[in-house]
Amino acid sequence: MLDTNCPNCGAPLRFRSADLAVKVCDYCRSTVVRTGEALEIVGKTAEVPDDVSPLQIGVRGRDGAQGFELVGRVRWRWTDGGWSEWLMLFDDGSHGWLGESMGRFMLLRPEKAVSGEVPAIMARGGRVSPGMIAVIAGEEYVVSDARPVTVTGSEGELPSPASIGTQGFSVDLNRPDGRTASIQAEGGSVEAYVGRYVTLADIAATGLRVFEGWPMPRYVAGRGA
Amino acid sequence: MSTVPRTRTRPPGGASTVKALNCPNCGGTIALRAAGRTVSLLCEHCGSTLDATQPDLRVIVEANQALHRPLIPLGSRGELDGVTWEVTGYLERTDGEEPWSEYLLFNPYEGYAFLVDDGDRFSLGRLLDRVPGWDNNALSVDGRAFEPTWPTYEARVTFVVGEFYWRVKVGERVQVTDYAAPNLMLSAEENGAERSWTQSKLLDRGIAEAAFGIPARQASWGSTPRADEPSPYRRRLREALVIAALAAAVLLFLGITAPSNQLVLTRQVDVPFDEKSHNVVIGPVDLPSTRQSVHVRARAVTLNNSWLDLDYSLVERRTQQSYAGYATAERYSGRDSDGSWSEGDNDPGVRFSSIPRGTYDLVIDGAAHRWVDPKAAPASFTPIFGSASLPAQDTVPVTLEVRRGGGTGGLLFLFLMLIAAWPAVLWLKHAHHEARRRGWAQSDDEDDDE
Repeated sequence: MLDTNCPNCGAPLRFRSADLAVKVCDYCRSTVVRTGEALEIVGKTAEVPDDVSPLQIGVRGRDGAQGFELVGRVRWRWTDGGWSEWLMLFDDGSHGWLGESMGRFMLLRPEKAVSGEVPAIMARGGRVSPGMIAVIAGEEYVVSDARPVTVTGSEGELPSPASIGTQGFSVDLNRPDGRTASIQAEGGSVEAYVGRYVTLADIAATGLRVFEGWPMPRYVAGRGA
Repeated sequence: MSTVPRTRTRPPGGASTVKALNCPNCGGTIALRAAGRTVSLLCEHCGSTLDATQPDLRVIVEANQALHRPLIPLGSRGELDGVTWEVTGYLERTDGEEPWSEYLLFNPYEGYAFLVDDGDRFSLGRLLDRVPGWDNNALSVDGRAFEPTWPTYEARVTFVVGEFYWRVKVGERVQVTDYAAPNLMLSAEENGAERSWTQSKLLDRGIAEAAFGIPARQASWGSTPRADEPSPYRRRLREALVIAALAAAVLLFLGITAPSNQLVLTRQVDVPFDEKSHNVVIGPVDLPSTRQSVHVRARAVTLNNSWLDLDYSLVERRTQQSYAGYATAERYSGRDSDGSWSEGDNDPGVRFSSIPRGTYDLVIDGAAHRWVDPKAAPASFTPIFGSASLPAQDTVPVTLEVRRGGGTGGLLFLFLMLIAAWPAVLWLKHAHHEARRRGWAQSDDEDDDE
């Protein structure tokens, strides 16, 4: 945990984990990167356009026994739509992503062990198409979707800078047992994530956004939103 | 440091999910109900297709369709299965023969659902987040089996208005394969690039209409049932079968436990030839079962050219409850130009069924009568013809045998048939429904035969 101030505007900045070296200033939207105690401004990022998402920074939930809090967000777009990835900081200091797309949520954790043709092609910047296979943590996943993507905004704490306009290539994969995975290439680096579809009830999300005229889901009824 | 303003302040009542925008084509005010998720927005005033992923709502396709209003207006809200849904989009599709409508429903916490209207019934569909499994030659989702229905067909979009989370357009085609389970339909939609699975639940009549405030629809009798429409007779058939099985079991139990045809007593009584009836009481007749039949067999072997009237009463000793029966026996014989002859019967028995437990007396009122041949000499009471040499008897000896139980087999069978009748009727109705529901299978068979 590091409490400091924005080198640009002086607003308070909090870095909660050594693994999350980036913080987008809530006030001036500078992207601040921390190296130890040293802070560096690497650019400015656009505010994520307001959307009808029930999630927001500060939402808490559980994945099994492990509690988490949403601390950051990256908004992506592709030719036919956009989606959000919310950074989950778990109680043990690890992190994952809660993907939000087409009204559905995907809980993903980073996975280093990835092999097969898909990551190899992606590392070369080549084209991946549906039906191709990737082996992640020893299990085969089939590509269901592959597309070039662009960052359209970010907020909060992040593991790496996500400046507006950052280009990448994103691949969705799944298994018949319902598990799902994502592989993202940015520059030469390829990152894999594995997880599953979840509902807000599955992860017992609290602190959800309140929308005028919309009742909270039944599982949060009675709790403060 | 504490004076730095917060960048995001939210009204206490919450943010609105609806944004008012102006159509860049016609200038009309349009609502954006799912900002950030909506990809295509079709203006409800001019029908232009707008790109909702662009901040300026770029026009993709200018007004090119005749507009009409969906039965459930855009923006309507209704509660289904405890979840509030808002209508954000509406599209009409056809398989080339039958058109249907689909409403895209949205809830900020639940995501999307489809309300499908086939013109008669509504069903609520949700996109599956996994591929169905394959068990025992059937697709399965959450342990429920779905059977194949008709062949894969092409669904084409014929009309669109409102907002959608994908690039929707008139003329868009997908290949659809439907699988059915009672009340549920599983549909695979493929467009070459991807395949999605939707599970929809057939809503009870009136549910969707009430939720979205449109007039309730009446059931149209005699119409072909849907592939996912459960048989209305299934539950009643199950109940009827349970009741019938219980009734049959009770009946069979009684039939088995009732001792069959036990001899209770044998007695010989002499019935005098007399105009008055002669009263004899024999007993006791002990009947141990809850209910049993009682068969009184009587044999009057010496009866000849005379008749016997026997009134029987089984009288319970304690309650004096009585059961009556009546029998007659007559026997005639003689000799004529064809030789000797005889006719009639000499077994004046009676059968009582379903007599309750108790100790009974059998009361017999008997009267024996001689037949007098009008052509014979009136002075003589001697029998005519062959028996003329025998002395006239003054009583008819009757051997009585009282047996209990048994002999109800026919009755048992009749009752079993009656018990089976209602389940049989329901089964026929159920089978008829199922045959019509699976009408596609029958027509396939007919095609094969040709």
